[in-house]
Amino acid sequence: MTEPDDDLGQALPLSGRVAGISFAHPSERVAAQILDFYRINWEYEPTSFPLEWDGDGTVVAAFAPDFFLPDFGLYIELTTMSQKLVTKKNRKVRRLKELYPEINIKILYQKDFRRLLFRYGIPVQERAHRDGGGLDAADSDTGMNG
Amino acid sequence: MSHSFHDPAIEGVLVSAEGIADIVEDLGRRITADYAGKDLALVTVLRGGVIFLADLCRAIDLPVTLDFMAISAYSHGGGAVRITKDLDDSIAGRDVLVVEDIIDTGLTLNYLLGVLRQREPASLAVCTLFDKDIRRLVDLPIEYRGKRIPDRFVVGYGLDLGGRYRNLPFLASLHDEVMG
Repeated sequence: MTEPDDDLGQALPLSGRVAGISFAHPSERVAAQILDFYRINWEYEPTSFPLEWDGDGTVVAAFAPDFFLPDFGLYIELTTMSQKLVTKKNRKVRRLKELYPEINIKILYQKDFRRLLFRYGIPVQERAHRDGGGLDAADSDTGMNG
Repeated sequence: MSHSFHDPAIEGVLVSAEGIADIVEDLGRRITADYAGKDLALVTVLRGGVIFLADLCRAIDLPVTLDFMAISAYSHGGGAVRITKDLDDSIAGRDVLVVEDIIDTGLTLNYLLGVLRQREPASLAVCTLFDKDIRRLVDLPIEYRGKRIPDRFVVGYGLDLGGRYRNLPFLASLHDEVMG
């Protein structure tokens, strides 16, 4: 994408909506900010899709994708864990597609998210293993564009 | 003039200058055929699209006009995208082709198309030289696509890293290490 003019970006306070949501992971908050910046309508974990049931029909496993973009009918799942740890999540998404083939979902893996943050000039920091590992957005702005 | 400077950040050439020229020529031919007899306005976003626009407009055998926009960059912490340099001319009733050097997430283009649509052009279409569709978040119709490229950080032919490399005549990929 043609990168926007990088001189005139205006830092404003977080949208009240982003600030008011308790995101499961800091990276999801950054993703919400990016979507807000580009005026993309989004919902955070609006739907939990049942994936497995026991013999009584009780749901024993479900999956709630991180974001839904209603204008595009698209779910987005953010996976900032290292690639070797995403097998379980991949399995869930695969199952989701089998059970709900009409669902349009995209997964953003760690390397995708790293490139996205880099493109928007957001420094990336590795999270400690004890904090769940994966990536996080650092605090300052490098001003770089992709 | 060839650019032969060696930069350790550059991994290799993804699309050569000759390859780009062939793509641009082909796009120009198709656009010329499709827009014959129409009032075509080529619009691009500063600054990355300028080099592609300069070559593409000369590959189009029609009396086109050129116009430019700039939009604000994502700023960590909030705000919203906005136009920082608007078009100089009205596009109402005209056939508008948005010329992009590359489309990846589609977020910026989605905003741009929304803005331009409100100005009631006769038609609105998109031409991109490179398409990194593996990273697309927002699917948008792309009428003219030069070449799909892999998910690498690329520079050259208008694309930059920190403002540099735009003048490379080819498309180059960078080593992952540049991202830290």
